[in-house]
Amino acid sequence: MGSRFSHLGLRSRVTLAFALGALILSASMGAITYLAARQVIIQQRKTSALHQAYVNASLVRSALRSPTPRIPELLDSLDTLPGSRSVLERRGQWFATSISIGKQALPRLLRAGVVGGSAATQSFLLSNTPELAVGIPVPSVDAAYFEVFSFGSVARTLRVLALALAGAALVTTIAGAVIGRWLSGRALRPLGTVSKAAVAIAGGRLDTRLPTDDSDLEPMARSFNHMADALVERIAREARFTSDVSHELRSPLTTLNTSLEVLETHSGELSSRASQALALIATELRRFGRMVTDLLEMSRVDSGAAELSTEEVAVGELVVHLATSSGAGVPAVLDPAVADRRVRVDKRRMERVAANLVDNAAQYAGGVTRFAAEHSAGRVRLVVADRGPGVAEEDRSRIFERFYRGTLSGRRGETQGSGLGLSLVAEHVKMHGGRVFVEARDGENRFVVELPLADEPVRAANDNADNAPSGREVPRR
Amino acid sequence: MSHRIMLVDDDARIRTSLRLAFEDEGYEVVDAASAEEAVDRFAEQPSDVVLLDLMLPGSDGFECCRELRRMSTVPIIMVTARTDTHDVVAGLEAGADDYVTKPFVAKELAARIRALLRRSKFAEDVPEVLRFGDVEVAPEEGTVRRDGQEVHCTRTEFRLLCELAASPGKVISRESLLDRVWGYDYFGDGRLVDVHVRRLRTKVEADPANPSHILTVRGMGYKLAP
Repeated sequence: MGSRFSHLGLRSRVTLAFALGALILSASMGAITYLAARQVIIQQRKTSALHQAYVNASLVRSALRSPTPRIPELLDSLDTLPGSRSVLERRGQWFATSISIGKQALPRLLRAGVVGGSAATQSFLLSNTPELAVGIPVPSVDAAYFEVFSFGSVARTLRVLALALAGAALVTTIAGAVIGRWLSGRALRPLGTVSKAAVAIAGGRLDTRLPTDDSDLEPMARSFNHMADALVERIAREARFTSDVSHELRSPLTTLNTSLEVLETHSGELSSRASQALALIATELRRFGRMVTDLLEMSRVDSGAAELSTEEVAVGELVVHLATSSGAGVPAVLDPAVADRRVRVDKRRMERVAANLVDNAAQYAGGVTRFAAEHSAGRVRLVVADRGPGVAEEDRSRIFERFYRGTLSGRRGETQGSGLGLSLVAEHVKMHGGRVFVEARDGENRFVVELPLADEPVRAANDNADNAPSGREVPRR
Repeated sequence: MSHRIMLVDDDARIRTSLRLAFEDEGYEVVDAASAEEAVDRFAEQPSDVVLLDLMLPGSDGFECCRELRRMSTVPIIMVTARTDTHDVVAGLEAGADDYVTKPFVAKELAARIRALLRRSKFAEDVPEVLRFGDVEVAPEEGTVRRDGQEVHCTRTEFRLLCELAASPGKVISRESLLDRVWGYDYFGDGRLVDVHVRRLRTKVEADPANPSHILTVRGMGYKLAP
């Protein structure tokens, strides 16, 4: 059954097996019952038919001994079972009680045998009704007595019995299927619980555990709970590790940054060669610092330890500030349709988003040419545009992947980033329930961060459901 | 006169580099490697501002913060490794006035400290005593009384209370409170305001859980009920 029915679900297979079992059982029981009942009924009927035929034959013998026998009256006076008819042959003359049965209706072999002097029985069909003919020679009066018994009622009884048994088999089969379905459902219910628990854990409710009170399921529940514990432990360990590494890296960076500042304050005391070296250190240290921050940030996003600390702010103020804090080098351009609207953002994360987009433009496209807030179907778009070589069509969806540098990957050198900046942008924007994409329009390359408006009525948000980002839940503090 | 700054960090290299940078900025620098040392040094020679690393060996930074707060209203800036942990809120609740995240830029930090120390200048037209309910604030004297009893506030709390009390009934956004009290240019952390308001409420409200003076206006900011 395995290979042929393996495409069926476990429940369907159990149901099918139960139904099949019930069918085989009830059908064989029915068949046995039917055959036994048939045997008994027919035997009984035959016995009583023979008994009656012999009784009637002896009555015929004594009646025919009288000198003037009146044969039709004699035949009518015989005691017969319902549906049985008598036929009498005497010295070549045939008499019958019923016009439907006469010499011609009797099977010829039987007729010949009995007239020849031996008693016999034979079953035959008369107008589709099973009949049993019993023939008894009565030689002392030179006659032969035949009696024909109708087995029509027996056949009807057996038909009804067969129907009843078939019906019972059908009901049993259905009952078997129903019981199979119910039992398999019951047996599989713990699996449903396990699956719900797994979904809960995947959804972040890490304290979900299975009850271990059912002794049959205890081993499974225990290993499931053990797995969940191990997972929690692992996440905690990673968070701890990240936190430790974070601290270990940030402390020397602080020392380096601070010492660099001291050196820069005193750069006038340095020779020009030393100043040049110092400038190099400064550039590389800042890049290194940014890389470390990006990596730590990314590992926190990965471990799920990153939390949003959101506040509602006016779009205009936010974008003006972002243009300054990110060092875009151009003033913010505000669409009046959104300038006074509000968004719910984690300010620090948005600062990193803007800074990374501006860095990206500086590294690959000669800097930002426009930094704008636009309105788009109930959402706000932060546009960071440049007029550089642009992003190839095939790279546009992949450019937000980690360490992806696309067609620019060959261009290593002084303007190389960590390869994490844009993927962090994507992560941060996703956490805000927004999306980020890159497009080429009007000769500009536009990096667009689209965020939901906090003061947008729900209806409008639904109207743009096709624009909405993937259904990831936005963590809120 | 130069301000004295106390650096509390268990990393000697950070202490040395910060000492150099802050001395360049014109501060007098005292440093301490542990919470206990910090409390002792502060007791014998109070400084004008404390820069306190939260990750200290022994009794931790939070305890040190609470201890210093018991001794003084000195502005405390705590140093954290991250901005989005509970550390920030916990540190603010332990009594810190502000926080910076490693790695920070000493020049920017020095500027922020200057703003912190400069702020006790109020607008000229502030009346001598601001009153609301059973609370009296005297901006010039720097005192707060509730039911005639003097209430001890840190300088930041006091400054925040004055800003709210100066325009009773008017909603003041978090951003402008950050700007006016902490000297941030708009992009400060709103949690600074929230935690300080919470701290203030425990001092001036009869029932801090159901404030009757300092009210939250959802999505807008705070206002003082006249």
